Amino acid sequence: MKRILKWIVGIVLVIGGVAFLAFLYFIPPFLTATPETFSGPMATAPPVSRIADPAERAIAERGREIVMRTGCIGCHATNGSQGPDLTKYLAGGGLKFRTPHGTFVSRNLTPDKETGLGKRTDDEVKRVLRSGLFADGHIAPYTVMPWADYSNWTEEDRHAVVVYLRHLPSVRHQIPDPDKQPAITRPGAIEQAYGGKDYGVTPASPVE
Amino acid sequence: MRSFVALPGRRASLLANRAILAFVFIGALAMAFGGQSTSGAAQAPTSHSPPPLASNPARGKVVYDQRCVECHGVAGKGDGPAAHLLIPRPRDFTLGRYKIRTTETGSIPTDEDLLRSVRKGLYGTAMPGWDTILSDADIHEVVAYIKMLSPRFASETPKPIAAAPQVESSPESVRRGADVYATLQCGKCHGSDGRGSGATATTFEDDWRQPLHAADLTEPWTFHGGPGAQDLYMRFSAGMSGTPMPSFKDSTSGGAMWDLANYVVSLARKPLWQMNAQEVAEHYARLDAEARANPVKRGQYLVDTIGCALCHSPVDDHKRMIPGLKMAGGFRIQVVPFGDYPAGNLTSDKETGLGNWTDDEIKRVLTRGILKDGARLLPYPMDWPSYSTMKADDLNAIVAYLRTLPPVSNKVPPPSRTSLPLFLWGKFKLLILGDDPPMVFYPGNIGSAGAGAGAQP
Repeated sequence: MKRILKWIVGIVLVIGGVAFLAFLYFIPPFLTATPETFSGPMATAPPVSRIADPAERAIAERGREIVMRTGCIGCHATNGSQGPDLTKYLAGGGLKFRTPHGTFVSRNLTPDKETGLGKRTDDEVKRVLRSGLFADGHIAPYTVMPWADYSNWTEEDRHAVVVYLRHLPSVRHQIPDPDKQPAITRPGAIEQAYGGKDYGVTPASPVE
Repeated sequence: MRSFVALPGRRASLLANRAILAFVFIGALAMAFGGQSTSGAAQAPTSHSPPPLASNPARGKVVYDQRCVECHGVAGKGDGPAAHLLIPRPRDFTLGRYKIRTTETGSIPTDEDLLRSVRKGLYGTAMPGWDTILSDADIHEVVAYIKMLSPRFASETPKPIAAAPQVESSPESVRRGADVYATLQCGKCHGSDGRGSGATATTFEDDWRQPLHAADLTEPWTFHGGPGAQDLYMRFSAGMSGTPMPSFKDSTSGGAMWDLANYVVSLARKPLWQMNAQEVAEHYARLDAEARANPVKRGQYLVDTIGCALCHSPVDDHKRMIPGLKMAGGFRIQVVPFGDYPAGNLTSDKETGLGNWTDDEIKRVLTRGILKDGARLLPYPMDWPSYSTMKADDLNAIVAYLRTLPPVSNKVPPPSRTSLPLFLWGKFKLLILGDDPPMVFYPGNIGSAGAGAGAQP
């Protein structure tokens, strides 16, 4: 008797789960949320009002506009338990690209000295944005990091972006190096994995 | 370099898939060998002796395949994967025609010209300076390999230009240079002030029908061949092959060209990174005013830098843009478990493009992700949440530019949902098995204008 009850409960749970997923299919969450649910947080990039020097503040404000409209956060977000955690703006790790050239995880762009751009010179950062050429000599495929589009920035806009990145709140967040391996599952396909898995978050992740 | 060295086992497995992976294979091989010899080459003395062409031509190819193919292409035709997005386009090495030379019009460049371009890069373009990455021996060998790509270097010898004695910059020389600037009608393309004011020619194409901008002479940091008076003298003397910039060597004396060079150097304005607060404010106010006065140009800049063409210009299996389909859409993106989202046709075609969309409808899809028929887009891969942060002027500029795209007929199917069972399977994998739901990009065109590589998964 008890066993039959267990089975019935199990079957009801499975049917309930499938019914819930079917509900999600026919009324997907992205259709019930307003567009502003998605676009609103994009306008909340860390403001530049803390910058003391007025010239640098004006340049960083221009850089902030460019960073927001270009959608850097689309790849360089850090995942929290409920989607991207925008308080760790551009701390990276949110996306993993599996490509014929290897696996790439979006980098930490905050000025943290050990895990972010703090260890890179302005020229090195600008060279990535202009030519896709990293300090260790590798060129990122433009389908992963779209540097070929950012190479069309004027040098002054590129400078403004770097000034803004230098003033982001520093976040300690170690990102694994690109795993350059010749693994390919489907020729001609570039797989880009979204998901709740975060990569190599140091346990504390203090925001300074 | 640790992540670059391919393991032997991996290299062997690559051999099996060579037909598909020729590109990767060459790259991996280059990395494997590249790591070995760099240490030795770094101690090679820096010399200006001719590259050791006969010694080891394969070595230059190894460097080339590792560093240059992304833009210049495997065969050196300037058609690498990134090429179609770059302004100006990368050089086609098979023609042997170069812009930055110190040689006569029509002549091949000297080795020193090529070495300089590789070492220092070309300012204002995507070409980086390699002298901090590659050893000097590597640079010599890659230049030797690039020369082998064109038959011209085997049959011709460069004809260097002997520069006239340099005229040092002085107020008199600059004044004379301004007269030369007027006499030679430089302002036709570069404007009376060097930044395009009053220019009668505003759109340019090079000999390969690729778009070009006339240099802004007040921004020396964008001069491809370098900002110095010596560099400018050589541009005036040699011209820039394949572009509307001619050589003035036969019509102008050496002294006058030095004056002109001194004048152009004197036009330089202060770059943003040296300005004080007031100058920054004035600079940005001027840029905003120019953007409002010429929204098409501003819109083109925004579209080129945001990277609309990355998805909306479909590419073939080698990631080269399919000819004639610039901005015509058809690139399929599969978002698991939701469905297929083909990139739309952004050209001004009335039937299949944006020709029949109103300005507000275009702006609505850019800022709220709602298509003309009211269908909602996912917040990715079309990044309308980010574009919604743009100012009204910029949105109007993008619309103005999209209106100017020549119409291309390519009927792209609307977004389609995955079937319920596939959706449930995808959710099951995501929720129970803990898989990452991937977003898969299929290059190629699934629109009506010819089947592309992306038609089948």
